[in-house]
Amino acid sequence: MNALACDEVTVTYGETVALREVSVAFDPGRIHAVVGQNGAGKTTFARVCAGIVRPTSGRLTIGDQPVPVGNVRASRACGVELVHQSFALPPSFTVAEALEFGSTRRTNLVYSRRTLETRWRTHLEALDVPARLGDRIRDLPVETQQGVEIARALVGDAKLLILDEPTAVLAPLAIEQLFARLRRLSASGVTVLVILHKIREVLAIAETVSVLRAGRLVEALVPRASLDPASLARAIVGSADAELPAIGAERTSADAEGTRNVALALSSVSTRAVAGGPGLANVSLAVACGEIVGIAGVEGNGQRTLVDALAARVPFAAGSLQLGGHDVTGVSLLERRGHGLRIIPFERNIEGLSLASALWQNWSARLLVIGRLLRLIDPPRLRATSRTVLERWGVRFGSVDQNAGTLSGGNAQKVVLAREIDDDASVIVAAQPTRGLDISAMAFVWRALREARDRGCGVIVISSDLDELFDISDRIVVFVSGRIVAEFRPPYDVRIVGEALTAAHA
Amino acid sequence: MSARLFPVARALAYVAIALVACAIVFQLAGYPSAGMFAAIVEGAFLAPHAIVHTIRWAMPLFVTALGVLVAFRCGYFNIGAQGQFYLGAIAAGLTADALHAGPPVLVIPLVLAAGIAGGALWALWPGLLRVLSGTDEVITTLMGNFIAILALAYVTSGPLKDGSGSGEVAAARPVADGLRLSTSSGVSLSILAIVIVVGGLMWLLVDRTAFGVLGSLAGRNPVMVVWQGARSGRIAIGAFLFSGALAGLAGALELLGPSGRLLSGFAPTLGFGAVLVALVSGLSVSAATVASVFFGGLAAASLYLPVIAGFPAAAIDIINAAITLVITARAWPSALRRRASASS
Repeated sequence: MNALACDEVTVTYGETVALREVSVAFDPGRIHAVVGQNGAGKTTFARVCAGIVRPTSGRLTIGDQPVPVGNVRASRACGVELVHQSFALPPSFTVAEALEFGSTRRTNLVYSRRTLETRWRTHLEALDVPARLGDRIRDLPVETQQGVEIARALVGDAKLLILDEPTAVLAPLAIEQLFARLRRLSASGVTVLVILHKIREVLAIAETVSVLRAGRLVEALVPRASLDPASLARAIVGSADAELPAIGAERTSADAEGTRNVALALSSVSTRAVAGGPGLANVSLAVACGEIVGIAGVEGNGQRTLVDALAARVPFAAGSLQLGGHDVTGVSLLERRGHGLRIIPFERNIEGLSLASALWQNWSARLLVIGRLLRLIDPPRLRATSRTVLERWGVRFGSVDQNAGTLSGGNAQKVVLAREIDDDASVIVAAQPTRGLDISAMAFVWRALREARDRGCGVIVISSDLDELFDISDRIVVFVSGRIVAEFRPPYDVRIVGEALTAAHA
Repeated sequence: MSARLFPVARALAYVAIALVACAIVFQLAGYPSAGMFAAIVEGAFLAPHAIVHTIRWAMPLFVTALGVLVAFRCGYFNIGAQGQFYLGAIAAGLTADALHAGPPVLVIPLVLAAGIAGGALWALWPGLLRVLSGTDEVITTLMGNFIAILALAYVTSGPLKDGSGSGEVAAARPVADGLRLSTSSGVSLSILAIVIVVGGLMWLLVDRTAFGVLGSLAGRNPVMVVWQGARSGRIAIGAFLFSGALAGLAGALELLGPSGRLLSGFAPTLGFGAVLVALVSGLSVSAATVASVFFGGLAAASLYLPVIAGFPAAAIDIINAAITLVITARAWPSALRRRASASS
């Protein structure tokens, strides 16, 4: 008897294989973790299990009963519920409405708030979610939204609850609360399948651990007791994997500390808070030419503010910024770009590219912003140049007149790289540069950043994925609440760095 | 079908859908739709002088639509072309009145420049409000139209009032004959030349300047260009200024051309006609030439229908309304979604 079993499940997207012949059977009533790096296929796996993604081949069964694949309704009818990575509750709904309309029960066309609230009160209280039924989803803190989302998933007779990266949006304290909630659910008989990529968290919650790497299930249902951080890290990264060089390897340029020039220097910078996180508090950070500095931290601890401040979108309340020895504290982004600053922004499809515009326009934007607005340009030449550059970067496209929105995520990110990593770049700030990319595109991004480093660029990489940072960084600094709280050099110890991420809460 | 031709085909399809809907309306209203369309084609192109009427209306529509198109491409919904047209005409009228004794070769350029400046200034304040405080320009430019209508009524019944008129329509003193660029037909070589030069310049602006390409990027994704270091405020102000300047130029040309004097409420549908031309043309300068002739033809036919063919001129309003409905039903939801996502 199992809670859910996958049999030879394979999922391909075009040429990309997201999952390759995954077979696993989860025991009921336990907490199972499925782990892996970004792009290892974790989310795809969760979606197959929940019936959102139809596998290219393979079967799902619960007990001995086959479950129709790629059918959310059928999966939910079998008691399988998914809590999404980014919450799918309508922000304008009240908690009661979200529970009512998020469930599979038949709803009346006409309803009153009061009947809904009576109906759902006991349910919410039983799960100990600190929200009132009349609260709007958008007014709730993220951890409470997640609580409501879990409550929503449990309104039916859920037997298997799948959570896709539930900790990504949470503060350390909220993660503890989430884990306590999952343990209670598990104790009450619900099987929990939780997708994670942080080793610390896996070891804190899981009873069994399964590891996905590049779409393959390389470890299945390993008991927690037989794992330690190092062995789990090895399983996730796969030291034999050529695409993922081992920690600290591939350092080609001469490592002469102290003789290299400073590419970027932030001195005692403080800013106000931004929408995505706290203000910077007395941040000093120097990045040398030919160095990759990784910024580690739980999301929302000032990484967004750092990029906004570098992009001159948030003014400095105190402190200064130098690029290659020039003071650029009060100047515009355009002027900073003139001093070699390049930014690969967090939101590729909003801040990085105009999806409804042609590729050549997206690529040419960096040239168009320079100089007088009314100067004449030569579009045929810009088209030709952008075609040459995009081809050199291995972007797969038909015509430079096609819209950027027609490209896949990895291809689109290559367009951004092709624009931002040019010969005049001296500092490259890469914010979550591999988010949402498949493993080969991730390797491409890492290679591009390393090559820029080896050419003498100072590189800042921001990632919430420690494994990624360990792979690529010459040095790691840890952000907590807008401050730099720790700095590490290789060889990195995942346990110590991981503790630094959450240390400020103690 | 090549990607270049697709917008053309789409525009033609919109117009076709609208015309079919109109045919049904005409039939239901008791008019033979075939006869109606035949009369419209005759009134627009075939009847004596019809082609002159068509071009007379196509030219101001085209110039004004170029302005609308520049703003729309940059993502700003300047629907105040009517008001900017009026303010351009007022500025031109005041200048022409003050300098009526001067040598035309000097005064005409000054009057045109005054028209351009008047229209540009009437677009500048909504632009500044948009850039400085995020005020929705759809509201401000629309409201600006009503202020401009009253301003024109004031100027024609106050400072420039023509004492000899009947008083039925508030009318200003006529401009000096030497300043006129055309007879009341509205078509002359000089106006045609100005319109062609302006069309060429606007094609350059939209297709061949950093402003044009950056503006179209900004219109589709205002966030991305800021991350590239673009001075988006300047792009916005530029979009409003060009937009108003062209409507103002059209106002000055109307004054020195067919109208010959300021009249309260003259050419009342020009601004919205220009918005239609811009939308039907898919915001392309070259397509706007064809669209202008089409809507210019409708304007000419609206004079012909009741007088010669005995059909109600409202038929033309129905056609315009139907095209507006079809175009906006398709174009606005996505545009509004973009605005919403850009401002959040």
